[in-house]
Amino acid sequence: MIKQLGFVLDPNRCLGCGACVQACQINHPSSPLAWRAIRTVEEQGPEGRRRFYLSTACNHCANPECMRVCPQGAYSKRRDGIVVHSAAKCTGCKSCVAACPFGAPRLNPLTGKAAKCQLCYERVDQGQAPHCVRACPTRALQLQEIQSLALDRLVRLTAPLPGLKLTNPSVYYKDPRMVRTEQK
Amino acid sequence: MSEKHQHICPRNCYDTCSLISTTVDGRLVSVEGNPAHDYTRGRVCPKIMNDVAKVYSPARIRYPMRQKHRFQGDWERIGWEEALTMIAGTVLALKEKYGSTLPLALNKYSGNFGFLHNAMEWLFTGIGPTTRAVGSPCWSAGVEAQAFDFGRFVCSDPLEMAQARLIWLWGVNPAWTAVHQMPIIFEAMDRGAKVVCFDTYFSATAARSHRFVQVRPGTDGLLALAMGKVLVEENLVDPELENYSLGLPEFTSYLKSEIDLTQAAALTGVGAETIRELALSYGQTHPACIWAGFGLQRYVNGGQTLRAIDALGALAGHIGERGGGVNYGHFETWNVPGFPPPEGQPPDRLLDMNRFAEEALACGEPPLKMLWLAGRNPLSQDADLELWRKLVGQLELVIVSDLFLTKSAEAADLFLPVTTHYEHWDLNAGYWHYWVGVNEPAISPLGEAKSDLEIAWDLARRLNELEPGSCAFPGRGSEKETVFSLMTPDMLTLLGLNKPEDILAGPVRARLPAVAWSERKFATPSGRFEFFSDRAAAAGLPALPVYIPALNPPGEAPLRLLTPHHASSINSQSYLDEAKDYYELHVNPKVLQEYEFRENEEAEIYNDSGRLPVKLRVDPTIPEGLAIIYPQDSGSGHPGLNVLLKSRGTDMGKLATGAPGLALNETFVNLRKPLSKGA
Repeated sequence: MIKQLGFVLDPNRCLGCGACVQACQINHPSSPLAWRAIRTVEEQGPEGRRRFYLSTACNHCANPECMRVCPQGAYSKRRDGIVVHSAAKCTGCKSCVAACPFGAPRLNPLTGKAAKCQLCYERVDQGQAPHCVRACPTRALQLQEIQSLALDRLVRLTAPLPGLKLTNPSVYYKDPRMVRTEQK
Repeated sequence: MSEKHQHICPRNCYDTCSLISTTVDGRLVSVEGNPAHDYTRGRVCPKIMNDVAKVYSPARIRYPMRQKHRFQGDWERIGWEEALTMIAGTVLALKEKYGSTLPLALNKYSGNFGFLHNAMEWLFTGIGPTTRAVGSPCWSAGVEAQAFDFGRFVCSDPLEMAQARLIWLWGVNPAWTAVHQMPIIFEAMDRGAKVVCFDTYFSATAARSHRFVQVRPGTDGLLALAMGKVLVEENLVDPELENYSLGLPEFTSYLKSEIDLTQAAALTGVGAETIRELALSYGQTHPACIWAGFGLQRYVNGGQTLRAIDALGALAGHIGERGGGVNYGHFETWNVPGFPPPEGQPPDRLLDMNRFAEEALACGEPPLKMLWLAGRNPLSQDADLELWRKLVGQLELVIVSDLFLTKSAEAADLFLPVTTHYEHWDLNAGYWHYWVGVNEPAISPLGEAKSDLEIAWDLARRLNELEPGSCAFPGRGSEKETVFSLMTPDMLTLLGLNKPEDILAGPVRARLPAVAWSERKFATPSGRFEFFSDRAAAAGLPALPVYIPALNPPGEAPLRLLTPHHASSINSQSYLDEAKDYYELHVNPKVLQEYEFRENEEAEIYNDSGRLPVKLRVDPTIPEGLAIIYPQDSGSGHPGLNVLLKSRGTDMGKLATGAPGLALNETFVNLRKPLSKGA
């Protein structure tokens, strides 16, 4: 592997508007499942309140568990780090569905095979951004080369730690700010 | 074959985006933002991402239809000739019977804000003096407040907000309703600006701000006045202000004698120390920008609230400052010609849009007999729905031209299918940014859909066939040429163009100063910023911006109901894939406890106007006296949110827009178990 592409989200710019999810669905009509989803995180602290949105899809892990467990060898990792699933090789055994700590691959009910975010690799090959990144109205969601990032300023909020250690997901978040509210 | 076309999103929305569509073999396949437009910046909101699906939606009506019995849904397809003959016949018969064209009414507003959608008004003017809906359900009180203070309502170019060092987002939720402003606000943040959001609940915009100030509904004016008092006490008033304002001594003496910080804190819910701290930062930071939203002024004191906020901006010297100002909206790019009435034609009969049914029922001779609804859905969106039903009962013909079978269409005799902005020519302007642009057709009209302008021509022709000379509006024309006819010399100058055809090259930003009132020469009678307004006094209003309380909830309906716009809909125009068959009512968890409900339980809210089934959701940031519904389209079997709404007017709006605004936020309800399941 020469490099690792991954999603970087700035939760301080993400409005939770869902443009990324819609763009993904509109441009991948073959799957009735959404490959990208938005989770809302809300916390109240003594200083104020924090509400942010995590737009997540396949994390294109450095050590993809889906690829390790797939008995058919349907998963491959490209030289740019994108984890690609081959529907042609997939038999729908669901090993990957059970193994992924992030729930990324899911069974497409129309085909009976697994499906997930392929990071729009055909677009990436042509130098274009994936549909989700292209759609983000605030540019909160970006595709970046992970090794070149200053990781000390980024946090990982995707899943419980064992999953992170196991697979090393290629996704990072900037630290979400606390909004100061008045003490009542 | 693949082609690109340019469009302007015609919705009643701050952003009024410049769009580029792609068609393949005459079929619309995608819509993207125009990268050459410095506000749209090549991106669209999630609503517009559904446009392709909306254009080809199976629910869209493609042919003229007649409903045999109103509200029965027994629609049958008819031809355009039959529909036009039916309308023209009714027009001429009513004119003959009453010796007047006043029984004919048009009620049109913002379903599509393109200027060619004024065609229905042009048609009605061509028929004679008719009955019209005037005013606006949206922003009237604030428009008039700014007209009193500045002389006109004008905002700075929204891109200038990036220059601010302090941004106050006051009663506005751009994270949902103006997403293209958010990158500009983030740009200011990246440069070190602090962003404070003032609202009644923790909105999506509050969540992206540095600080959230929770204000009790209807007390924003008092909060502004209290901060104004701090500025006066702390000597933070612009030293030049005396030179460009009128009534400053009277206003400061009002603040000193009538505004008490402790009392203001108790009423607004914002602590006295916080009021002081906010005022100091606003007075000491330059530039500081306020964006005042529309929700603020949908109260009986809404105009006063805007006047108080304007006054606060003036005290601190932020008016005319680059990256400052009190920004609300503008109409500077909307001056297009209408169809002039034939000489000597008596005036139209004007009815307040917000009390349309009530005023229509009260019309003396001649009574209202025919109603055309275009770009409007009043049986969903208006107040006094019972009066609307009554009005429908007295009408001989109700015509709805629209894309979908709306709630109002349920009351119609005739449904005329209209084109989307991907199927006709138009010219559009924004009321927030300063761009004007042409809208091209990208595809042929679906089915037998026609643009409003084509419908107007066709009906004018039919009228003149049946009775020569009965309609002065022409019977044919070219949509594209009509766009050019709106490019008057004034508009060309405003846009810096040489000839009308130049608008075809792409959207143009009007050549207006980017900063409103930078010369501090105002359009008021005095030429100054008017703290003291003779025009307000002449209209029976206080001459100064003063605190007038909003309404208190009555005992039998203790919850104030707010209905801020959702990210996925604009009024009854929904962009969800599927309409929900229920409304979600968001309340504080303590309200659930008090009423002994659980979250997600079904309940009913009610008042003396009506009742509405809801599903309960909790939001700890909503204060206890408040309930919020984000109005999303509800299925056709649903009574609709506005069964709860009375047509209470705002304090201002008549002078500036023809009618007072609608005090939507003064709606109060109570909560109970659904009747069908209860005791």
